[in-house]
Amino acid sequence: MTSPSLSVEELKKRACETIEKSKNEIVDIAQQILANPEAGFRETKTAQLVSRKFQEMGIQHETGLALTGLKGRITGGAGPGPSVAVIGELDSLVVTEHPHADRETGAAHACGHHCQIGMMLGATMGLLAPEVLSELSGSIVPFAVPAEEFIEVEQRLEMRELGRLEFLGGKQELIKLGHFDDVDMAMMCHTASDMGERRFAMGGTSNGHVVKFVKYTGVGAHAGSLPHQGVNALNAASFAIQAINALRETHRADDTVRIHGIMTKGGEAVSAVPSDVRLEWRVRSSTPKVVVENSEAVDRCFRAGALAVGAKVNITTIPGYLPMRHDTKLQDVFRKSAVELVGESATLVMPARRNRGGSTDMGDLSHLMPACHPYAAGAVGPGHSSEYVITDYESAVVIPAKIMAMVVIDLLADGAKRAQEIKGNHRPLMSKQSYIKFQRERAEVTEYDAAG
Amino acid sequence: MPSKEDLKRRASEIIDSKAEDLTALVKTILANPEPGFRELKTAKLVAEQFGALGLQPRSGLAVTGVRADAVGTAPGPTLAILGELDSLIVADHPHADSNTNAAHACGHHCQIGMMLGAATALTNSDVLDSLSGRLAFMAVPAEEYIEIEYRDNLRRDGKIEFLGGKPELVRLGEFDDVHLAMMLHTTSNPAEKQMCISNTNNGTVAKRIQFIGRASHAGGAPHLGINALNAATMAMSAINFNRETFRDEDSIRVHPIITKGGEAVSAVPADVRMETFVRGRSLEALMDANTKVDRALRAGAMSVGAKVKIQTIPGYLPLRQNKGMADMFRMNATDLVGEENVGYVDHRGGSTDMGDISHLMPVIHPYVGGAIGLGHGANYVIEDYGLALIKGAKSLAYTAIDLLADNASLGNNIAGGQRPEMSIPDYLRFMRGLASEETFED
Repeated sequence: MTSPSLSVEELKKRACETIEKSKNEIVDIAQQILANPEAGFRETKTAQLVSRKFQEMGIQHETGLALTGLKGRITGGAGPGPSVAVIGELDSLVVTEHPHADRETGAAHACGHHCQIGMMLGATMGLLAPEVLSELSGSIVPFAVPAEEFIEVEQRLEMRELGRLEFLGGKQELIKLGHFDDVDMAMMCHTASDMGERRFAMGGTSNGHVVKFVKYTGVGAHAGSLPHQGVNALNAASFAIQAINALRETHRADDTVRIHGIMTKGGEAVSAVPSDVRLEWRVRSSTPKVVVENSEAVDRCFRAGALAVGAKVNITTIPGYLPMRHDTKLQDVFRKSAVELVGESATLVMPARRNRGGSTDMGDLSHLMPACHPYAAGAVGPGHSSEYVITDYESAVVIPAKIMAMVVIDLLADGAKRAQEIKGNHRPLMSKQSYIKFQRERAEVTEYDAAG
Repeated sequence: MPSKEDLKRRASEIIDSKAEDLTALVKTILANPEPGFRELKTAKLVAEQFGALGLQPRSGLAVTGVRADAVGTAPGPTLAILGELDSLIVADHPHADSNTNAAHACGHHCQIGMMLGAATALTNSDVLDSLSGRLAFMAVPAEEYIEIEYRDNLRRDGKIEFLGGKPELVRLGEFDDVHLAMMLHTTSNPAEKQMCISNTNNGTVAKRIQFIGRASHAGGAPHLGINALNAATMAMSAINFNRETFRDEDSIRVHPIITKGGEAVSAVPADVRMETFVRGRSLEALMDANTKVDRALRAGAMSVGAKVKIQTIPGYLPLRQNKGMADMFRMNATDLVGEENVGYVDHRGGSTDMGDISHLMPVIHPYVGGAIGLGHGANYVIEDYGLALIKGAKSLAYTAIDLLADNASLGNNIAGGQRPEMSIPDYLRFMRGLASEETFED
């Protein structure tokens, strides 16, 4: 005798009940990761933990994808259909003063990614409830991905030199390696500290970007006795920064241009004319076209800095991320489930043009397939700062786990009708080939010598 | 044969006897100030004075210059004694011309008086009969490097090639037959005392610069504009970023002004103009700084994606003075004002086209007191004509006697003892090579 098939509402209820029963475990997973933070492409302990959990849950999975990623696959019991990825990001930041920082490495979860792994596993637990999974078509891909934070660029460039990576972001690398080839749509939730009374928010966009590594080479000389024989690389860099500031009036508000950087080396000793000065810079904007335009303008400023004092400049441009383009249909599904779970007043839909200013490699994925990247409450403090901590794990892990499970049920129940519809309606902004070509074109090393 | 002392005594008597006339003449020039290449009234006055001395002046040299020669009784070198004709433009100077604002705020009117006073003594047969060689009295135009646009138009019209009077006279061959040159400038600097020997002056090049951007509504569409004013301010920053490479001993000076800074505050500035001098104590240092300034100007344009036109106009070469002539002048100054009133400064930051002459032959360009106020300022006036004019004229006459009396033996030694830095053709080639117009766009 076969049991009568359950309604979508009933399936969501069962999934949420399962998550509710496991909530101590999933919060505990998040907190274990919080206590063992690892920066991108080095998340070995975190990956081991995820692998162990996948094994406990009986999920077949691949490991070591783009060095540390893990990808599972769960097939629904109701026949073939699209494949939906539920993503969690493995990596931490490096924020030495963070209360949960690793004392040796300075790594710290100052952006809440530990919660993402908790919610990804939590949503998967809910979907694995037998009475739920049997009603779903297609497949669910729980995916723990490395290196979303675009940091430690020098180290990653060394890894690139060694051939271990081509792109410096985890999802970029996974796309290139083909690990999203068998995925039809993707989702993840990120924690946020600026939610006010809301518990769940979606919509808006993020900035695309490129990363610059800039090395000025001057001529060292005794700064007291022979400054006329030196070429001051610090002055070259300072001029370039001023030049970048002189361009700010040309940035349109709509383009959300953010150009910012740090000086990673500013000279050797105060008694010598600085001859080796290095900058790490980032150029962001809401459209790839404006990123490319500003990348060229910033290069010109860097060259002008070299010309100003007769120095040499070497500019390494590294492809960064694309702006986030949420699939509006998929977002509607999120909105419906969020309202069901936390109510209308706790759910926020931001206008599509609302740009949070930051960047995520989920933007890259969103150029290739339907994707959604909403926000869950529960954090306090400015993102990426030592004050960013999770104070409400219910909001930061349990609720988004439930909402993602509910969204997957909406997508894959009823013969995966919604997922088919979303897949059918979606026009990707780029093919995988054109994406890889575009990003490879961003990678360049230029040298400009104004000496002599 | 009278001794040099006898000749100097006689020269002193002659100058003293003409003191009132000379002072009146100088005050007439003070009351009729004319800036460079426009000194028509002043030149006419000088030509008349030369004529009264029985000389045959040639006028209109380099537009307004006047030269008259007197020949000694035996062969020998030609010594030029120079006086500068031109005034500055200082509107609020007490003696400014109410129409043109021209004013003698640098004491050049005294120079003409000194040169004529020396000429009066030296062309008197009591003196001239004991001199060998030749004296070339030269009233020279346009020492002050001002009114660049006016002069550049004269240049474009073919009336001059160089923007300073002495370079132009060199080009015209007026220094071809000259072996030694001197002039005396007034000073108000107490450190320079009553008479002062100096060593060097800065050389200079002038630049006219135009940054070309793209205009756009500064409120509505700044993203479509290219801000030429930002290019100019970035260029000035770039110049400042290079200052630490300028050596103290090179006395580099770079001091731009912006002569046009945009059209209307509501538009992104698209046409910004700048002028600057680049000065330095040696030609090598000057050229090094000039290269750095050009690079900085290009960097300013590059930083915002603008275009820059750089016109480089040869200015004056650094002044280096002949030590033998300077020693001679010091002795005469000591006789005239006492040792305690003779000063020495090693270097002056300003520039004079006597520097150009100093690259071609032995020269001196000492200073005489009697002025108060700040040079080129509204308060620079001559307070003591007895010093600034009469004693000044005597010091020039005495030094000429030292050089050309006694068969011009000292004059010959000095003329033969200093290898010129440049030949006149080399000088002209160098100056022409320096003149350039460049447009740069990244």
